[in-house]
Amino acid sequence: MKKNVWVNIGFQAGALVLALLITTLILAAAGAPPLKAYGSILNGAFGSSNNIVAVLITWAPLLLTTVGVLITFSAGLWNIGVEGQMTLGAIFATWMLRMLQDTNLPPALIIILGILWGMVGGALWASLAGALKTFGGVNEIFGGLGLNFVSTALTIYLVFGPWKRPGVGSMSGTQPFNEALWLPTLGTGLSPWGLGLSILAVILVYLLLRGTYFGLRLKAVGKNMKASYLLGIPTWQYSMFAFLLCGALAGLAGAIQVESVYHRLLPNISNGYGFLGLLVAMLINYQAIWVIPIALFFAALNVGSVQLQIVYKMDSSFAGVLQDLLVLLVLLGQGVRERFLGKA
Amino acid sequence: MRVELRNIHKYFGKNHANAGINLDIPSGTIQGILGENGAGKSTLMKILSGYFYADSGEIILDGKAITISSPSDAIKHGIGMLHQDPLDFPPMRLLDNFLLGREGGLFPDRKVVARDIQTLAAQFNFSLDPEAYVDTLTVGERQQLEILRLLWLGARVLILDEPTTGISASQKAKLFETLRTLAGQGKTIIFVSHKLEDVEVLCHKVAVLRSGQLIGESPVPFDHKKMVEMMFGKEISLGDRYPLNAGGKVLELKNLAVEDVRLHMEDIHLDLHGGEVIGLAGMEGSGQGPFIRACSGLLRPVNGRVQVNGHDLTGKSHHIFKRHGVSFLPASRMEEGLVPGLTLTEHFVLAEKTQGVFIDHAKGTKLAEERITSFNIRGTPVSTVESLSGGNQQRALLALLQTPLSLILLEHPTRGLDIESTIYIWSKLKERCKQGTSIIFVSSDLEEILQYSDRVMVFFSGKVTPPLDVATLTTEKLGQLIGGSGWNNLNSGKSL
Amino acid sequence: MNRHNLLKVMGLLMIFTMVLAACGTPTAAPTQAPEQTEAPAATEAATEAAVTEAPAEPFTFGILLVGAHNDQGWSQAHYDAGQYVEQNIPGSKMLYLENVYSGSPSYPGQTASQLAEQLVSQGAKMIIFNSDDMKDEALKFAQAHPDIYVLGPSMDWTWKDGKNYQESPNQIDIMGRMEYGKMMAGCAAALTTKTGQIGYLGPLINDETRRLASSAYLGAKYCWTNILGKNAADLKFKVTWIGFWFNIPGVTSDPSQVADDFFNSGYDVVLSGIDTTEALVEAKKMHDAGKDTFAVAYDSPGNCDVAPDVCLGVPYFNWGPSYVATIKSAMDGTWKEGFQWNAPDWADINNKDTSAVGFAKGQGLSADASANLDKFIAELAGGLNLWTGPISLQDGTVYIADGAVATDQEIWYLPQLLEGMEGQSVSQ
Ligand SMILES: Nc1ncnc2c1ncn2[C@@H]1O[C@H](COP(=O)(O)OP(=O)(O)OP(=O)(O)O)[C@@H](O)[C@H]1O
Ligand SMILES: [Mg+2]
Repeated sequence: MKKNVWVNIGFQAGALVLALLITTLILAAAGAPPLKAYGSILNGAFGSSNNIVAVLITWAPLLLTTVGVLITFSAGLWNIGVEGQMTLGAIFATWMLRMLQDTNLPPALIIILGILWGMVGGALWASLAGALKTFGGVNEIFGGLGLNFVSTALTIYLVFGPWKRPGVGSMSGTQPFNEALWLPTLGTGLSPWGLGLSILAVILVYLLLRGTYFGLRLKAVGKNMKASYLLGIPTWQYSMFAFLLCGALAGLAGAIQVESVYHRLLPNISNGYGFLGLLVAMLINYQAIWVIPIALFFAALNVGSVQLQIVYKMDSSFAGVLQDLLVLLVLLGQGVRERFLGKA
Repeated sequence: MRVELRNIHKYFGKNHANAGINLDIPSGTIQGILGENGAGKSTLMKILSGYFYADSGEIILDGKAITISSPSDAIKHGIGMLHQDPLDFPPMRLLDNFLLGREGGLFPDRKVVARDIQTLAAQFNFSLDPEAYVDTLTVGERQQLEILRLLWLGARVLILDEPTTGISASQKAKLFETLRTLAGQGKTIIFVSHKLEDVEVLCHKVAVLRSGQLIGESPVPFDHKKMVEMMFGKEISLGDRYPLNAGGKVLELKNLAVEDVRLHMEDIHLDLHGGEVIGLAGMEGSGQGPFIRACSGLLRPVNGRVQVNGHDLTGKSHHIFKRHGVSFLPASRMEEGLVPGLTLTEHFVLAEKTQGVFIDHAKGTKLAEERITSFNIRGTPVSTVESLSGGNQQRALLALLQTPLSLILLEHPTRGLDIESTIYIWSKLKERCKQGTSIIFVSSDLEEILQYSDRVMVFFSGKVTPPLDVATLTTEKLGQLIGGSGWNNLNSGKSL
Repeated sequence: MNRHNLLKVMGLLMIFTMVLAACGTPTAAPTQAPEQTEAPAATEAATEAAVTEAPAEPFTFGILLVGAHNDQGWSQAHYDAGQYVEQNIPGSKMLYLENVYSGSPSYPGQTASQLAEQLVSQGAKMIIFNSDDMKDEALKFAQAHPDIYVLGPSMDWTWKDGKNYQESPNQIDIMGRMEYGKMMAGCAAALTTKTGQIGYLGPLINDETRRLASSAYLGAKYCWTNILGKNAADLKFKVTWIGFWFNIPGVTSDPSQVADDFFNSGYDVVLSGIDTTEALVEAKKMHDAGKDTFAVAYDSPGNCDVAPDVCLGVPYFNWGPSYVATIKSAMDGTWKEGFQWNAPDWADINNKDTSAVGFAKGQGLSADASANLDKFIAELAGGLNLWTGPISLQDGTVYIADGAVATDQEIWYLPQLLEGMEGQSVSQ
């Protein structure tokens, strides 16, 4: 048992080293001295308090989407629709804020209602994917993809249509909310509430998956639906729960984006956080405990690699390439490990 | 092909599953392998067929030392293995399942392959439709399919890990005949089994494993008692028959009609009383599966009533049945019964009633330890179920049964169990009967049916006998009924 | 491998492609390579030269480009201006980031003000936010960073007489009077069209874009009636908006498609109002297929090179001189915040060092039309003001009374398209 853990970590570390090696080559090929380039990524991510704030701002939604998909992964589901669920969270939050911003309700209440409504929106959207899967037999990957497209179309319709800025027709986004309805932020826009909620979500999901009957049942359903049913677990309900929870977390991420970062709805509000969350989840082999550092690493990479563009004029896809490479190699490493050491 | 194993070692963590095993099997030999559950039989076979690497040791084929890196590598060397628990059965056609394992040929000629399958199947009297879907097959049929596939892929060493549990007596006879023919052609057969009788009639020689070690080899025939002693290190005696003292009605079936894609059965009546055991006999796939599933709410009957303890549960879900004290353990333990990837502790925790939100891990571990001891499972609370030996998986499955229960429905409860555990498990089940629990079980082992049932229902292609008193049955008579003869002059067992 | 695994692998592949797609820059990726190798070298050379030759304190400025630095349009005009600054102010150094807009997949979750911080951490003392898409962000950043100069092309925050005035002492907002350029563009189109139908490929809808489309219409109408002597009612002028400054697949309408639709429905000249060159490319495709189609480009002087034969010309911004002036004022302490709306240098509208707005004629323009266009430009230089009443809005209300001259505010904040134009005034 113990030995296996170390072998595991060894393979993981091997994959990391290999990924670094390859990216080093890429950097060198692109004409950036690799060591300096890594230095400037670090600097871009942690070099100043403003940069750290930027990292934390991107960290929060990534945490949420990652732990969200951890839940669905636990239940054996590939919730690719998490992107759309985040979008719907943003739409619902915007909806609530727009509806209430001219009332006399206290702003704090409106903000909270917006967040809750965003979670409801995400959960509803996820339940669609869930219903398609359980009642329509549509695989969640395809259902999720379809719903992602629909959510984008819906955002665009709202941004150019009913929620446009007066006199403007631009994808730049809807009319910003009254400033009273912005989640309070520190520095250049870090919302301690958003970050706090995200970290809380990570802890809750960790506890849920690790220590509760719910989590164990979810895991059982994910690994063997038939056996779980015979063990007395209401299986489809649990799949649905997984979707709902993931959707609510993604919706929370969307609500935080509109309430604390953009203060309005804009197309591509989900910004690939859902897909990135799936990647992080795969990279950490679905172990909730690793979410915090690895998501931070990904966020730092995203923010820090901006420096590569400034200093070395590198393409903005660098961070994405490194992230993909890492996941690919780690998965490959797992395959190799299984082949040579047995499926122990 | 001559197979030699030299000083094979395999560790799983601290568990020394194969401890220096030497075995020499000349070509044309049918080698029997015997040993208690967890002795290391499957491990040794998996090493030979490329699923595991040995930690040390040599495999020598026809005098040449080789390394086998994967199952497909093994089949290239001519070694094919039929697994104890066929694991992965995708929803694809038999034909495609055949084609998958073969190399080369982007566009295989499906017609030719389909004919191959049919010719092969005909040899063994297997009725397999190449266009049928694999996931609609019963466990027994899947085993048949695998045998055919391996032969078709050109196996010259055929390893069969407990292959006889799923097939009828006549099919078994046919299989043995074929294995003998194959051996006559110089092929090497390795036959792993718990059934001394099977090994004795089929094999040329026998090797016995215990706790990872080769305890000894023996020619055939052998003395059963001595052989059992070799296997277990002690003498074992069959349990006694328990007298039945029936309680109130637990299960009532009235005018029940059940069907699945292939069969339609109707007019089934049964009054099952507390403490009673009913054995379901018949060839694999003759309707026992749908019947037992209808009794557990997993299959909705097309007609008739199902009552449990006086409650009409017709058409209710399995979970409602469960609430009324009905439990079902399926035959395909790794597919329907256990959750691969979860530990023993997790299984026991899942099967228990929940208390609160959080799992008490300490309590769970204690529970697991208790069950592991009382069901004599070779494993630890943190062992995942797929790391257990086949027999130990079966014990784990039985250990999941809750107390109290009114009705236990079992498919092949002792498939893969060694003699000692079979006796032990049945003693446990019978203990429950004494406390008023009733049992319905499916088995393809006539001895088991006659030994443990109070009444027997025989299934033959959609027909069901009324429950027959076991005292009126003999192996021969039962065998006839299973084969479809002697149905006209049935005197139904005394109805309770 | 069973079905589930297969799906997993498919899912994984999909995620990878999506992440990659999300990370990839949406525009101008292929043309980037040669520029990339050149640009840094040029920049470094400039800096080195500065270090050795000039004792002056080095001045680093950063530009956030809404599109690609080589989009042959709006963003490139700014990028070129940055290089112009480097050549003209010893010791100055440009940093830039491209594809900066709300929700840009290049910078997941990062706002323009955060990206400005990244430039500052490389030593930038001035940040140019080159698009109205970053308008709010620019102000936010300026107010949070009194120590950093902010330049807001096309913005109006510091326009005392504007509608949106905000106190922001470290900010200057700059715009060229592109109305003139657009009038010339419209004129060239009117002089060329055979069908009398002119299409305008519009970006998003706001004050600026309404103003520019309308100016093009005014120019077209003037030349149609006054130079060609035709009937104003026979001129069709239609605007179709795509929703943003450039194509974002899946979000905006596809500008190539819009241009095609124009050409296929009788419009033989399309004026580009967007940052990129789709109008030219499509006109060339049609032209090569035997149609008599033309386009007028926008933003950047070299723009016609994409398809010289079909290009009637390009009204372009020349940001260089104003950038140099602003940066110099920041360096020598004569900085004065406020709003600048710079007109062409009528002595020579194509003078690189003096004129904020220019018009480069294209090979597609006939000799005849060229002569007439020159005549029109001369009239403008001589004081012709097309923003003179009577001018009515699209809904028929009189906007500028007969004989009255529109104020800067009336032009800048034009609420609708003009009467006689087809197309949406506000999005529906
Ligand atoms: N993948 C595995 N990981 C860890 N331990 C394993 C694994 N496979 C087998 N073992 C252990 O090795 C020992 C031998 O198992 P094996 O499957 O060879 O027994 P067996 O003789 O086939 O028993 P049975 O008759 O029950 O099938 C058992 O203690 C088992 O728990
Ligand atoms: Mg075994």
